[in-house]
Amino acid sequence: MPDLAFLALSGLVIISAIFALEAKELIYGAVGLAFSLIGVAGVFVLLGAEYLAMFQVSVYVGAVVVLILFTIMLVRRESGRIVEEEEPCRLGRAGMLIAGLVAVAVAEAMLILAPLSPETPEFYQAPLRELGRSLATSYSVALVILGLLIGATVVGGLTLAKIDREEKADGTAQ
Amino acid sequence: MEPLSSYLVLSAVLLGIGIYGLVSKRNAMRLLFSVEFIVNAANINFVAFARYSNPPILSGWNIVFYSVAAAAMEATVGLALILVAFRLNGTIDVRKLNRLKG
Repeated sequence: MPDLAFLALSGLVIISAIFALEAKELIYGAVGLAFSLIGVAGVFVLLGAEYLAMFQVSVYVGAVVVLILFTIMLVRRESGRIVEEEEPCRLGRAGMLIAGLVAVAVAEAMLILAPLSPETPEFYQAPLRELGRSLATSYSVALVILGLLIGATVVGGLTLAKIDREEKADGTAQ
Repeated sequence: MEPLSSYLVLSAVLLGIGIYGLVSKRNAMRLLFSVEFIVNAANINFVAFARYSNPPILSGWNIVFYSVAAAAMEATVGLALILVAFRLNGTIDVRKLNRLKG
């Protein structure tokens, strides 16, 4: 039973990831990205980390994909056509070859180095109490640094995306 | 329960898809998608290794917590950069954004 769920979830992740990269319209690509990330959240559930799955769905699908969709709307041309690559790139086949080689090499290295088939309890759930305690005690400095980083990111994103009056008057739109 | 190797193969495939997108795509938005795929492959690895070690290591979950937050921030800054590039050049094709090329 979990085997079937794993197969279905990995199929969802991989097929929608390929669709996200190969879809003609960028909007559909973003939807494919959302489905792929939901599939990764399902893999987290299979691994017993429901909390991480919820975090993944809320942050990625709820925030990142929606932000990407808004940006795609903003990056449309006036004619309504989405800015897209005109012709298929020559590098497609070389990229596929490189990616395949790297994936096979990484999988081989991980399968060689990984401690295979350790004894694990069947239904293990991440102890949420322990997780929260470690976030507040032993990883508290990292949490504070993460908060500072989020603040810096917000300020940086706003500064980048802000339109200056004089810059706009210069006609730098094109 | 599946063996650990199936999760490792899944994450390697996702990594390969991400690298393929980074190498061969020309749209800056799709490069951002590819980075997200690579980060997710790493996250699957973290959670799988944390789950399959005996006893399960809690640090794997913690790392993924930080990693997801950092990836969200990276996407935010990347989208702001794409907006600026589109505003300055009228395109987000990375082959045409070669003004810095010597």
